[in-house]
Amino acid sequence: MTAIHELKGVRGIISDYKLQVVITAIFFAIWFAFYVLNPSAFTNPFTYTSLMSISPYTIIPAISLTLVIITGEIDLSFSSIMALGPLIMAMTWQAQGEASLLGVILGLLAGLGAGLFNGILITKLGIPSLIATIGTTFLWRGVVLVATQGFSIPLGQYRDSMVFSALVGWLGGIPVQFLWTIGLAIIFWLILNRHRFGAYIYYIGDNRVAAQMVGINVDRVLISVYAIHGLIAAFAGIINTLGMATFWPTLGDIYMLKSVSSVVIGGTPVTGGLGTIYGTFIGGLILEFIEMGVLTSGVTGFWIRLVHGVVIIVALAAQGILRRREIIRARVMRLITTQATQQSTS
Amino acid sequence: MRNIVKRFGSVVALRGVDFYVRENEVVGLVGDNGAGKSTLVKILFGIHAPDEGEIIIKGMKFKKLTPKLAYELGIVLIHQERTLCTNHPIWRNIFMGREITNKLGFLRIDDMKKIAYESLSQLELTRMPVETPVKYLSGGYQQGVQISRALVFEADLVILDEPTVALSLAETQRVLEYVNELKKKGKSAVFISHNIYHVYPVADRFVILDKGRVVAEFYKENLTPEDLTEIMISIARTGSVPEKYKELNLYRKSQLT
Repeated sequence: MTAIHELKGVRGIISDYKLQVVITAIFFAIWFAFYVLNPSAFTNPFTYTSLMSISPYTIIPAISLTLVIITGEIDLSFSSIMALGPLIMAMTWQAQGEASLLGVILGLLAGLGAGLFNGILITKLGIPSLIATIGTTFLWRGVVLVATQGFSIPLGQYRDSMVFSALVGWLGGIPVQFLWTIGLAIIFWLILNRHRFGAYIYYIGDNRVAAQMVGINVDRVLISVYAIHGLIAAFAGIINTLGMATFWPTLGDIYMLKSVSSVVIGGTPVTGGLGTIYGTFIGGLILEFIEMGVLTSGVTGFWIRLVHGVVIIVALAAQGILRRREIIRARVMRLITTQATQQSTS
Repeated sequence: MRNIVKRFGSVVALRGVDFYVRENEVVGLVGDNGAGKSTLVKILFGIHAPDEGEIIIKGMKFKKLTPKLAYELGIVLIHQERTLCTNHPIWRNIFMGREITNKLGFLRIDDMKKIAYESLSQLELTRMPVETPVKYLSGGYQQGVQISRALVFEADLVILDEPTVALSLAETQRVLEYVNELKKKGKSAVFISHNIYHVYPVADRFVILDKGRVVAEFYKENLTPEDLTEIMISIARTGSVPEKYKELNLYRKSQLT
């Protein structure tokens, strides 16, 4: 009988990591390009601590957004939830006159509730996720603008509090928010790859009918995913607010496209069923690195969007080529297994 | 299933169907397009709820089922590609929805791979590693993976909805071997097919549906495939079983009225 393992190599079949390798290569290529343009900046540790300070605002919401996109859905409203959560926190702090943990918890619960609301709109009312979350993007932003009347809320007086240190302080020369980012990335990686809940997320994105047919409660999983994403978006908004020591009502707006782009650059297709936390993490770093690299290279900040655009297109083109090759490989493999069946039957 | 009626708006898909499967029996459910075969098994698997009638499984009566409940009652549905997640490896597809986990819900991956391998071995499906994504497998191999799922969960009743559609001759032969393997292990199965020559070798009994009704029922030993084809053609043209086979028909007219 034909030894299929030998025909194409086991490594060939399960080369799950190609996309991650490509994304990592793009990251290092960009790093090298900026290093050549401005060696002094990219041998300076301050460049990297700055990157670690600002990248969490993009990467943290992108991590939980990865789960949403793997299910084959989308959430745009997280950018507004990034403002809703810290607004609740800031208002609680103002009312209490101190930087309390309660304020943080209420802010996170607001995010959780907003995510839950998205999930219910999408699953129970059957509103397509794109439309539902466009609606809630306006809704939560409207709530924030009405509540603040467009004014910022300064929080500098609480800088010395435990909450500030725990969320945006420094530990061993590393910004704490980056450690939170790594911690969340590990937790979400574990959920997606080692937990039953993560398996259900992948199945729903891959084949929703199949997931239903094996008894997975698709609605419950989707609602949970949206609730988790709301919670994490609120957390990202809170650390962004504390990082700037000010709450401002348009907080989160710039992260909508950046976080979605991080997920997509990271190799998670919008069609769902596939995707990795590692890819999203590197995708977010790439976007932030470009921003930093462009600025330190001495050109104007207007170049940032242009370079972002080029990198996104290059990354997606590379993924497109890989996926096309994957389709061809799958066809060849199906043919080989069909022939092997014929041989074994005859 | 007793007196099952299913309507889709003004269209009556099933008109009081009685249908049963015995232990360790393979029933060939045949009939023309629109006869109601798929609707009937979808009700049995809980995808559709019947408008009238009841479903009796292991002595328990149900007005309707859900896929989850059907799964728990030991019913597994095998459909051409529809119940597989093709981007995912074989072992994940076998355990889909019934993962082996620790108390915190974390997957016991090595255990699942081992059991998956053992189950696939019973069907001689070990040419591909259990880590292979299902999209790399031929149609017949994919059906084997689904049957392996039924074996792992010790399903009592396996519903095969057109499992040989779009398969090569050799692969069809393998799928039929898998069905025989199920029977050897004491399982029951409902095999739906348009193709008499696919269903004939594996079925013990044939139930013929026409326009939402059961019109005939025969034991295999009383018919050749050619006889069955003749009966099917007659039912499609005239709505009735040819005179020479009427004595063999287990489904009496009295049951139709």
